[in-house]
Amino acid sequence: MSKPDYSDVTMRPKMVGKRIKRTEDRRLLTGTGEYVDDVQAAGMLHVAIRRSDQPHARIVSVDAAGAFDIPGVVGVFDISDFEGECQPAVPTSRMKDYYATPTWPLARGKVRYVGEPVVAVVAESRYVAEDALEHVLIEYEPLPFAIRQVDAVKDDAPLLHEEAGTNVIIRRTFERADVDEVFRTAPHTVGGTFRMTRKCAAPMENRSYMAQWDKRRRSLTLYTSSNIPGVVRDVLSDCLGLSSHQLRVIAPDVGGSFGGKGSLYGEEMLVCLLARKLERPVKYVADRLEDLAALSQGFDELIEAELALDDDGHFLGLRADVIGDVGAFSIYPWTAALETVQVISFLPGPYKIEAYRGRIRGVLTPKPPTGPYRGVGRPSSTFGMERLVDMAARKIGMDPAEIRRRNLVRDDEFPYRTAPGIIWDRSAFQECLEGACEALDYPRLVEKRDAMRAEGRWVGIGMASYAELTGIGSRISVAPGMPINTGTETANISIDATGVVTAAFGVASHGQGLETTLAQVISDQLGCSMEDVIVLHGDSSLVPMSTGTFASRSAVLGGGAATLASHQLKAKVLKMAAILMQAEPDELEMDGSIITARSSNQSLTLKEVAKAVYNQMGRIPRDQRVDLVVQETYDPYLGTACSSTHMCMVEVDPGTYGVRILNYVVSEDCGRIINPMIVDGQVHGAVVQGIGAALLEEVIHDDDGQSVAASLADYLLPVATGVPDIDIVHIEAELPNNVGGFRGMGEGGTIGAPATIANAISDALSPLGVGIDKLPATPERLFRLVEAAKAAG
Amino acid sequence: MKPARFDYVRAESVEHALAVLAERGGEAKIIAGGQSLMPMINFRLVKPAVLVDINHIPGLEMIEEQGDRLRMGALVRHRMTASDPAISRGLPILHEVMHHVAHMTVRNRGTFCGSVCHADPAAEMPMIAQMFDGRVEIVSASGSRVLPASEFLVGSLVTSLEPEEMVTGISIGTSSPDAGWGFEEFSRRHGDFALAAVAVTFRVDDGEAIRDARIGMTGVGETALRMRDLETLVDGRRLDETLEVEVAAWLSDNLSPNADIHASADYRRNLSGVLAVRALRKAHARTLERRAASGRERDHE
Repeated sequence: MSKPDYSDVTMRPKMVGKRIKRTEDRRLLTGTGEYVDDVQAAGMLHVAIRRSDQPHARIVSVDAAGAFDIPGVVGVFDISDFEGECQPAVPTSRMKDYYATPTWPLARGKVRYVGEPVVAVVAESRYVAEDALEHVLIEYEPLPFAIRQVDAVKDDAPLLHEEAGTNVIIRRTFERADVDEVFRTAPHTVGGTFRMTRKCAAPMENRSYMAQWDKRRRSLTLYTSSNIPGVVRDVLSDCLGLSSHQLRVIAPDVGGSFGGKGSLYGEEMLVCLLARKLERPVKYVADRLEDLAALSQGFDELIEAELALDDDGHFLGLRADVIGDVGAFSIYPWTAALETVQVISFLPGPYKIEAYRGRIRGVLTPKPPTGPYRGVGRPSSTFGMERLVDMAARKIGMDPAEIRRRNLVRDDEFPYRTAPGIIWDRSAFQECLEGACEALDYPRLVEKRDAMRAEGRWVGIGMASYAELTGIGSRISVAPGMPINTGTETANISIDATGVVTAAFGVASHGQGLETTLAQVISDQLGCSMEDVIVLHGDSSLVPMSTGTFASRSAVLGGGAATLASHQLKAKVLKMAAILMQAEPDELEMDGSIITARSSNQSLTLKEVAKAVYNQMGRIPRDQRVDLVVQETYDPYLGTACSSTHMCMVEVDPGTYGVRILNYVVSEDCGRIINPMIVDGQVHGAVVQGIGAALLEEVIHDDDGQSVAASLADYLLPVATGVPDIDIVHIEAELPNNVGGFRGMGEGGTIGAPATIANAISDALSPLGVGIDKLPATPERLFRLVEAAKAAG
Repeated sequence: MKPARFDYVRAESVEHALAVLAERGGEAKIIAGGQSLMPMINFRLVKPAVLVDINHIPGLEMIEEQGDRLRMGALVRHRMTASDPAISRGLPILHEVMHHVAHMTVRNRGTFCGSVCHADPAAEMPMIAQMFDGRVEIVSASGSRVLPASEFLVGSLVTSLEPEEMVTGISIGTSSPDAGWGFEEFSRRHGDFALAAVAVTFRVDDGEAIRDARIGMTGVGETALRMRDLETLVDGRRLDETLEVEVAAWLSDNLSPNADIHASADYRRNLSGVLAVRALRKAHARTLERRAASGRERDHE
């Protein structure tokens, strides 16, 4: 595969690279979008769910007799009501030392976290269903449990899944060279135990599902807020015993996911089972309390790590022991390995480190399962690694930018294979660091910080460099060992009799603006005007195999498939036009939906060609006529590196311990930019999400296993008043070796921001000897750290 | 997150509302702005059998100047309090406090009296009512009474309002024209309930000693507090480092704030001292400004 050739002037991009307003915004901003909750059907029933209030307990009995006294209640269901009607979803993996826990629609035999669905009430309205919930009595026999990962990992800890024989359902070690020997002889070492606490993705639209059973065709349609409708279709057809033509999964407008809606949920199975059983449409919309209690959660690793370096600041070795708290289940389809294994896969970051050992144990605890969360694993690993880098710089008295400069992979060292086996293709590792330094005028910023410090203010500068693997092809699955192909994407592009271009994809845009960006790509590559392009997505019936949008894949894979299909389609259009214009196809060019001949001033519109092909009998000889339809699949095989350096300055209030971000810059290389406005929006949004992780957001389970940040009054999402201006520097290094030259970039901000802010706060508090090893850095935590440092003298 | 079934009565007059309260007693609930009540109803933490909507009763949306006091009718919204010239004349600190009350959409609906009746221990309006000798005007079908805010506010979300009673207005004192003010609040995010907040007004005499100090706090006790002992401590003293240290130490020794997932009691005690000192300094600076300004005015005359 070679880079696109733009030497021909007609192939130069016109729409790609333009700040085009998103075409989907008209409907979304005028309230005419259609989310799952907007989908109505005659006779539709509503579900309310009684969730476990126990962290670990045997279900002794369910008494729902009282619920039926409430007018409008249609039925009350527990798992026994679906005996023989469904199989569990089992997130299998080729990884060894892994146990796949089954996912059922409702708790079966026992409950394993507070918030787990146990009983479903179906009623004529959600109000009635919730009234009836109060009359459902569940008797539990409490079972022992270990709520903290350090306890759950012990050999004698109470087991959540007895069949597994252990709570440690995933183990993995990456090792290169004799790291212990390196540490024995290293001139300097630094180390710490870093903890990124649990997060909730908290998309604005809560999870929503509506299933409709078609008696005539004996088939089911599921409308879901999922960002993986293709995966959901494939697994549910197995679980429900339906052939895939009997099950269509549609993700209409989706109000964000941030990873939280990117896994299969028991409730998705539940509404399908109920719709089939009751032969009526059934809707379930999670409320905010339910999503905070049971949406898949993020991170929650304890990272014990050490870095060895020489006197010149060169990194010699890295070793880490990580305990990942995966919650009560291994999530479908990603498995408990997704978040945990990525932490040790990406811990060495964008640096040259020869000797490495990273060990992870993923342990079950009675909490909601962890799953995809924007950045996956890397916000945790980058936090740990970048703290170590700053600690190392401090220890040898080197500037933090300089130590990074010395260790980031250099241009002449690509492709670079990291110790865990990730291959970094050429990306602007060094240039991003320099870009951030230039944007904030780093030397002057340091002077400014020192001047403010001299006034007694607690001011600090932080930075973080990272790289991520995006747009991953078929060489490896997005989640290690997962037996689902995430490495290809299909585009089906057709031109109809009126000249309209319909492009169908397996991706599922849930806020990324793919209807706009993919149309930009097609417009350039096919040579049609953007207004003529309609992008369809988020529907399992569009292309033969699909998964969805996740892992920063859709621009790279969708854009690649769009490019390949557009090229072939253009050849077909020009072939037909050549016949009509009595010219050779290679004399013709199409641009803005107009076909022109170089040798004459003849032209035809795309519409005229389409009309001739489909409607005007005899204009094209029947043995030469082709349909203007192409389906093409793109597989980039390897993934491509997206790299970045973030930098910021913060001030900590020495009285309140509040943290104010004074300025912030993101310098990043995402390859060719399709739409700078969308890229900027992704960066801004992701940085804000990272600010939440750094300063505010924390899912807290108390010793009784109860979630105590249960509403948005206590689970604190960032608000506009706490967000600084965010500068962005786009650096386009050599384009990646894939079709289109795009790198995935939707997650990066969340990866860099927590580490950057943690380093800045640590720098601000360095005169007191305080460093940050746990996020979020709340006022309470900073107060404790400073008090302890003062007490220690 | 759907409320339990309830009846709804749109009260056309205070008498109408009181008649419903008398009839339904403990199972009725008054709704004005609903900014606290509606979430509680949706969470089913409160299940009133009937909601008595007073939003359409005429005459309750007035801010009145009554001599050296200000009276807020039961439907005075936060946004009115935040922009009323009578308040900027008589109680400028209240304008400053308003910057910390939730967000614009909440301030457009929420009411001064509703906030006092809700009695959240971290809210600002109960603190203002405590600090400025708030008098709560209470009526029922069988009579009326006026309670000082200190007796009205009993505990966290608890007041001495009886089920058949309703608050029609609250009058509060004003601060003297030569008094300066300072308000300091800290919360996890802008607009959230305070982890601690301190409000201070005082004037200084010719020797720059603090006089007529009023100090209110919220977020650090079962109710919003007026800190009379602290007022006594600062009375007649000049604001200097010694006094600042004493104030912080006094708060550290005497407050017993709650702990929650956002802040420990220790943190809140420390924060209270920090905020109190900052509020005192601001009040002091404003006092001097105001005195200088009134001096200039006198010179012009």
